[in-house]
Amino acid sequence: MDALIELKNVTKTYRLGDEMLHALNDVSFRVTPGEFIAITGPSGSGKSTLANIIGGLDHPDSGSVVVDGNELAHTRDGALSVYRNQHIGFVFQSFNLQGTNTALENVMLPLVFSHMKNKERKARAKECLEAVGLGDRLKHLPGQLSGGQRQRVAIARALAIKPSIIIADEPTGNLDSAKGQEIMKVLSELNKQGITLIVITHDLNVARLAHRVVDIRDGKINEKRG
Amino acid sequence: MQFSDYLRLAFRNIRRQKLRSVLTIFAVVIGATSVTIMLALVTGAKGFFLNQVEANGTLQQVAISPKADITEFNDASHGYGGNCDGCVKLTDTIVGKVKAVPHVIGVARIANDGNLEAITYGDKKLSLEQTTAYDANGIITNNIVAGRDIDSRDQSGVITITSDYADKLGFKNKYDQLVGKTVQLQTRSFYSGVGADVQPPPQCNGPCDPQQQQNQKSTILTAAIVGIADTSNNSKTIRVPLEWMRGMEQNRMYQQTEADQKAQQDACKNVRGNCSPTPPHYTLITRDMLAENGYGSLIAKVDSSKNAAGAATEIKKLGVGAADAEASIKQQLTIFNILGLVLGGIGGIALAVAAIGVVNTMIMAILERTREIGVMRAVGAKRSTVRTLFTLEASMLGFLGGVVGVGVGFGLTRVANIFVNKQLASQNVHARDIIGLPIWLILAVVGIATLIGMLAGLYPAARAARLDPVEALRYE
Repeated sequence: MDALIELKNVTKTYRLGDEMLHALNDVSFRVTPGEFIAITGPSGSGKSTLANIIGGLDHPDSGSVVVDGNELAHTRDGALSVYRNQHIGFVFQSFNLQGTNTALENVMLPLVFSHMKNKERKARAKECLEAVGLGDRLKHLPGQLSGGQRQRVAIARALAIKPSIIIADEPTGNLDSAKGQEIMKVLSELNKQGITLIVITHDLNVARLAHRVVDIRDGKINEKRG
Repeated sequence: MQFSDYLRLAFRNIRRQKLRSVLTIFAVVIGATSVTIMLALVTGAKGFFLNQVEANGTLQQVAISPKADITEFNDASHGYGGNCDGCVKLTDTIVGKVKAVPHVIGVARIANDGNLEAITYGDKKLSLEQTTAYDANGIITNNIVAGRDIDSRDQSGVITITSDYADKLGFKNKYDQLVGKTVQLQTRSFYSGVGADVQPPPQCNGPCDPQQQQNQKSTILTAAIVGIADTSNNSKTIRVPLEWMRGMEQNRMYQQTEADQKAQQDACKNVRGNCSPTPPHYTLITRDMLAENGYGSLIAKVDSSKNAAGAATEIKKLGVGAADAEASIKQQLTIFNILGLVLGGIGGIALAVAAIGVVNTMIMAILERTREIGVMRAVGAKRSTVRTLFTLEASMLGFLGGVVGVGVGFGLTRVANIFVNKQLASQNVHARDIIGLPIWLILAVVGIATLIGMLAGLYPAARAARLDPVEALRYE
């Protein structure tokens, strides 16, 4: 099957004081459509860097990154922003919801940056919140929701633009295990509907759900089947 | 992303930190208010000045001087009586020619002189610097505060004086009581005009100098005060009817007639040796010096202010100096414009300080919302989107401050007008609500405040746009 995501010889180095830190060291890596990948590794191993490069938030120093036919390595900010807006849904460990905006408005945010009319945005955002089981919490502020509910709002936000890929960076990191399982269930369900899912985690229970686990140590990939 | 989305997001962000936004806007309000008031004052003063000029008809006037090189209205209207080199005497012939110039609808002849040296009422005696007279045909108008102005029926024996003189005569705030009172006017020495007791020279043998027989004492003329004029134009003048002035200007003296001289010569023609002719016969000869030397200046009135410049050009072809008021008014308007810049600049300082507040607020907002900016970038906001959003937010702070500031300024000018109106009323000036706030000024102040907000937002917005999304998302 053709690869949805293909990284070839990707290198990314950070400078920390006088030291050069190899976040990614000559990494090559493929993901086919509809896969569920878990990226694991100790902190500072480069797993977030890998996810950010796939998500179009970061540029590699060298190598090529092709996602859905788009070469991202040398794409400029404007086109990269459009790419993120059309292809990628991000879910963060700390939810990153806007506290002064309702659940509905938070989910509508990515749609504001696309060419969608206000009415359609509302309908789409409502649809997404219903899909994650929050159809009755549209007007709630994040502060009025539990941690699990907040992360579901974040997932709905990622879902709003009908992404081909959802990148979740420690989505269960701030939740207890029951809430974490609940969230993983929602994400797995979306994966089953055909969305490619990349989850960064160091929770083995989460990694176990993935089709494939990619372990990163010192910027090198150490792949094992899930 | 549509403009309405930007507006909505920016407005929501402003509302999020209410106190900080209100304080920032308040600073802009102070700046916008001071700019509004300063400019309203200047605009009002300028409008008032133009109104006054329009009302007293100066724009419809052409001042004519005997000196051809006069180009300033004010210089021309001051006039130059008597003789001067290269001057064209403003005689009634010239007056006739001026009246024939197209668009000229009337001419006022003006004569100033110093024949009268003092005015006496009761025990008060004041020195006079200038006596003025002109046609009472409505071309030159005065602001009469008591009694009436001199009119065309007045021939002699009446004057108007300025309120300055009335004050000095002891009639401050009771001008009405001075109207109708009779005063003595003392002429200069060697005065031979109307009212002077000119004596024939004493009989003398041989040639006599007729000048010696002139009246050397000053003459006392009496006049009734018919009105008191506002002091604003000429503080040290009294006005007399033009025909009376003509009389005062007269040069009257006894002279031997030519017939008498010839008779004397004839009587001695055939006499050898000493001939004692018949005593000379003197006759009182009166010369109209005003007609001979011309008037000091003329004011021609044209049918419309836009024809004044053209009429002035035509009148100059008669060899006289002529100037319309537009040039000198332009000069005065320039002063108002400079004043506007200076006062507006002072108000602008407050606005500049407010701009620093906007910069501060925006930098704070960006620090606080770093993660939020990261999220926006992650879900598809471009750098330019972030930049536009924050610039717009800063502009909106400026705009809101501008709107409120103009509102406050408007209120304050209304209050100020109440006081100014009282002042004007007490000065007998028929103008009200002179501190104006025209629509262009309102729009300009709101526009400037918005622009300053926008400029203040440029740097913080650029900083926000430069944020690396990965770093921003990690920001604690």
